[in-house]
Amino acid sequence: MATMSAFHTLRGVSLETIGSSCNLWRNNVYSLTTKSCRLRCLQSRILRPFSSRQHNPKVPEVPTWEPAPEEQLPPPTKIPVDLVDKLERLALVDFRTKQGLECLEKAIRFADQLHVVDTSGVEPMDSVLEDRALYLRDDTATEGDCAEELLKLAKNTVEEYFVAPPGNIPLPKREERTAMLRHSEF
Amino acid sequence: MLGLTLKEVSSAFREGRISPTELCRKCLNRIKKTRPLNAYITVTEELSLKQAQQSEARLRRGVPKGPLDGIPFAVKDNFCTANIRTTCASKMLEGYTPPYNATVVQKLLDQGAVLMGKTNMDEFAMGSGSTDGTFGPVRNPWSYAASYRTQAGAAPDSDWVITGGSSGGSAAAVASLTSYLALGSDTGGSTRNPGALCGVVALKPTYGLVSRHGLIPLVNSMDVPGIITRSVNDAAIVLGVLQGIDVKDSTTVPAPSALVELPEDFDVRNLRVGIPKEYHAPGLSEETVAQWSRVADLFERAGARVEQVSLPHTQYSIVCYHILCCAEVASNMARFDGLEYGHRSEMESSTEVMYASTRHEGFNDVVRGRILSGNYFLLRHNYQQYFLKAQKVRRLIADDFGRVFGSGVDVLLTPTTLTDAVRYYDFTQEDNRTRSTQEDIFTQPANMAGLPAVSVPTALSRRGLPIGLQLIGPALEDKKLLCVARWMEQRVGFPSISDWDGSQESRNDAGVTREQTSAV
Amino acid sequence: MAASCIAASELLHNIKLIPYHKASCVLIRRISTSKLKCSSQPVAEATSAPQQLVGVVGLEIHAQISSNTKLFSGSSVQFLAPPNSLVSFFDASLPGTLPVLNRRCVEAAVMTGLALNCTINKKSLFDRKHYFYADLPAGYQITQQRRPVAVDGVLTYSFLGGKKRNQVIRKNVHIKQIQLEQDSGKSLHDDVNNQTLIDLNRAGVGLMELVMEPDMSGGEEAAAAVRELQLILQALGTCQGNMSEGQLRVDANVSVHRAGEPLGVRTEVKNINSIRFLAKAIDFEIQRQTDVVQRGGTVKNETRAYDSKSGETVPMRDKEGLQDYRFMPEPNLPPLIVFEDNASLPAGIDACQAVVVQTIKEGLPELPGIKRDRLVQAYGILPEHSFTLVNEDGLMEYFEAVMRATKMEPRKVIGWVTNELVGLLKQQNTSVSHSPVTPAALAELLELQEAGHISSSVAKQVFQEMWRSPGKTGAEIIREQDLGLVSDAAKLHRVCQKVVDSHPDEVCAIRSGNKKVLNRLMGLVQKELKGRADPVLVREILQEKTS
Repeated sequence: MATMSAFHTLRGVSLETIGSSCNLWRNNVYSLTTKSCRLRCLQSRILRPFSSRQHNPKVPEVPTWEPAPEEQLPPPTKIPVDLVDKLERLALVDFRTKQGLECLEKAIRFADQLHVVDTSGVEPMDSVLEDRALYLRDDTATEGDCAEELLKLAKNTVEEYFVAPPGNIPLPKREERTAMLRHSEF
Repeated sequence: MLGLTLKEVSSAFREGRISPTELCRKCLNRIKKTRPLNAYITVTEELSLKQAQQSEARLRRGVPKGPLDGIPFAVKDNFCTANIRTTCASKMLEGYTPPYNATVVQKLLDQGAVLMGKTNMDEFAMGSGSTDGTFGPVRNPWSYAASYRTQAGAAPDSDWVITGGSSGGSAAAVASLTSYLALGSDTGGSTRNPGALCGVVALKPTYGLVSRHGLIPLVNSMDVPGIITRSVNDAAIVLGVLQGIDVKDSTTVPAPSALVELPEDFDVRNLRVGIPKEYHAPGLSEETVAQWSRVADLFERAGARVEQVSLPHTQYSIVCYHILCCAEVASNMARFDGLEYGHRSEMESSTEVMYASTRHEGFNDVVRGRILSGNYFLLRHNYQQYFLKAQKVRRLIADDFGRVFGSGVDVLLTPTTLTDAVRYYDFTQEDNRTRSTQEDIFTQPANMAGLPAVSVPTALSRRGLPIGLQLIGPALEDKKLLCVARWMEQRVGFPSISDWDGSQESRNDAGVTREQTSAV
Repeated sequence: MAASCIAASELLHNIKLIPYHKASCVLIRRISTSKLKCSSQPVAEATSAPQQLVGVVGLEIHAQISSNTKLFSGSSVQFLAPPNSLVSFFDASLPGTLPVLNRRCVEAAVMTGLALNCTINKKSLFDRKHYFYADLPAGYQITQQRRPVAVDGVLTYSFLGGKKRNQVIRKNVHIKQIQLEQDSGKSLHDDVNNQTLIDLNRAGVGLMELVMEPDMSGGEEAAAAVRELQLILQALGTCQGNMSEGQLRVDANVSVHRAGEPLGVRTEVKNINSIRFLAKAIDFEIQRQTDVVQRGGTVKNETRAYDSKSGETVPMRDKEGLQDYRFMPEPNLPPLIVFEDNASLPAGIDACQAVVVQTIKEGLPELPGIKRDRLVQAYGILPEHSFTLVNEDGLMEYFEAVMRATKMEPRKVIGWVTNELVGLLKQQNTSVSHSPVTPAALAELLELQEAGHISSSVAKQVFQEMWRSPGKTGAEIIREQDLGLVSDAAKLHRVCQKVVDSHPDEVCAIRSGNKKVLNRLMGLVQKELKGRADPVLVREILQEKTS
């Protein structure tokens, strides 16, 4: 009972008294570096007076793992220029800036962490429904016949057709594309 | 009135204490008042009043459609709503009006619920803060609650905190009492994360239980429509309406049973509650750990068997998710080319140029970054090493859960988020991808394995902001999960926002007691 | 239908042979028999130069499934319709829409697989193949790359070869797989306004992609294989097989090499709109590649288009180096399961909801090859006739109906069906089912001729008359126009005497030994009697009178 009432008091109490010490850790606790030990010590010094109950032993008191160390990962990937060009053409999305490329390299680096997991003999999982059979529908017409409704959604139409620019023309070279896209910025 | 549960509102309707139109107007006013939160992208004022009037007519005739008749609800802006703008908070779909309703939206409308509007989110549901949408970030309503404001130096306009994401708008709408329930989407925690940070109940049903037809997808193999309410019983009522096979969605499964009312007094004696040790991840706040421990105690004292378990591959879950998510995003976003709908660039020299510039203009950096990463992982050369590897790790993660539940554990108790809500200013110091990988750490394994999970608000932090805990259950045992969640809700004593809110309106309503038993 | 018959007969008679005809023919036969033993063994028995370059041809065929609705959506499938009127939200790739598989398409694929002796995969999977194109709204095509519905089959085809084109040559081509996939929309290029008009009516229609291994060696074989496939698909009803309407699309993979050596670099030839063009395109390409190699050059791995006007293949824009389809499993479709038999259906699944292989197998119709063999066996007709009977829709049934109505020998009937009837059908561009002359009527006519009531030339005349006046029987026409053979001996004698009397020189010639002149007299008698004289009797009487 005593523990509960202490907690209830907490709800209603203004937090001004702990304001200054709050400022110390408030801004730093959210960065996710492994140097957070120092912060955790700081936290526990401030918090201990407030936790007046025993910690449930089933709940771990400290983090139980750390991100995979760099040494265990394969060498970092650097994306060559021709791959940059290829990706942009395949995705029809541009990197925009050097930062975009760095972003991809970081994303790959993050993905590399999976390298340390042993998956020998494990079958890939497409979906959690892999044991269910696909539903098959009857061959009766129930949709379509809504050309007007669909064409209304498109910006460029001509009579009952969607309109595209001439196709099958290779994209201009990368430098040209970057200049062109800069033009189309909002 | 605005803080009531669905059952309470229904009886208020029946007893004539308020009418659906009056309630609708109250919510509309509240939406106007809480506009700084930026929770709504589109408010459907005229439509909602019309629907409310229809509901009223039914009530007068004594033929309400069900527990949701006349109830205001909000929908995340990635669910298609017929003839109502659906943007996914992206320039790409800024002017897009779908010609059909998502199945879940249709079901709610068929029950007579009243649509208040479409809520704000991260662009295309990519993010964990609801900060990266084209209509601006969503503010957490608790930023304006007295509990947060009484901190020294907490000036609402510069120190406001995020809602979490990506269904931040939906969570904010429910938390700020502008609607009684909201639909979100949950791919890696996008409903549970903002649910926890905004102090509301957020349910992610079993994958396949609720139709995704009309939900603009992020990751098809993990997306689930999420339900946000202010009480667990409300969430159960909504799930009961939404669950079931939809022939338009081949990934739906039959509902195991019709969802009836949750028991008032669920017996947790001998309930086996698992505490996965890997869920104490680096960065988890001391306060959340304290809550975790507190609730574990609650269960134990009531006779439940609380035990520590292990889900060894937990730390790789987020990496796995990152690869599979990017790959599916790369694929799902390929349809946005400006030809049939959505934004279209003026550049017309060739189809390829038009596509490239449309996508350049229409997508923000986050979306484009994920598309490029996803394409990288799917390249023939990389497929084995990244995509296939991630699929294998996915199986290991699902098997981890399978093993634990198979050994007889009924439910897992874990944190939902690392900390309470962060200030917007602090949150934006890191890029979206880094943030997402940090924030989704406890929520996305359930998506990976397709399991039901619910976040229940448990307490306010020292900063006066909500902390929530998560319960995860075996597939298709959503009902049992909700029973346990309700039991927890009844005992943790989480305060209503109206206890803290300085607004006139909710003070008038403070007289109405919430359905809540006091903590044991 | 008329077109396909022309194609068939052209195939049999008009194929332009490649210059190495003799040598490669020998090589072809030798290679196909020694293939089973060891394909890498050099063929030493070739009678001409041992290092001759030979063609190697594989085919990729897209067959549009004959169904009411599309593969993954409930919009109709029709050949001609106002633009974008057969398009559902899913076909237009509206966000939030999901694929729902059409059972009929699965049945069609299983049926086709069984007819081609394939192994049907109990469980098959769907994947996404990504590329951008204006007629592909989603930016990806749903196909079956990892595990298609049917694999490892054999197509047995025959064609008439040999010097007189009357020898039935039977060949096998391995079917690597049959997979289900979506068709794309259509783009119409508007050069005047420098834009492309997109019609999505065809987007999402179900296709079966059949991959034929490079077991063929030239245009003739490929054409015959495709022709046989067309007949099979039409017999099954799974695809109407009309190449000019795009229901059957064939791309050829062509390379050349020397027997025994590894396969050469291959090119893909597209834009082939008929079986005739298929053979021409392949033969041209083989020749082109042969020239390149013989000049010392190397063949480029590229895609080429067939230009029917010039008869040549020309390079298409080459995206090979840049293309990477980034295949990914289709997450919205759980595995496709087909069941072996009704017994293996799990509880709760209705038999009419599921696809059961056994049921489909039992319902397979008689395939063309079997039909032909049966006809030859049962009726003793020549193989080339069996081809004609099976090639023409309904002709076999017609022939068999005639045979049921008469006791005449088949070989006396067959010519009438394959030549006279078919000739008139072609001329009037009519199908067998619309023939104004019924099998019973033809049978009656033939019996009249057989009984000697009319001569064969008159019979043909009568037949044409019957065609023009449907409903009138042969007997009626003969009566009306008095075409019956004159057997009245007295009348015949009179006419013969008249001719003999008016042609003393001829009579003299005959009497002096020139028997051939008798024919001239016979001709004159026939002319007098308007061709209705019984030739046997006339000959007898004249011989008597001139002896």
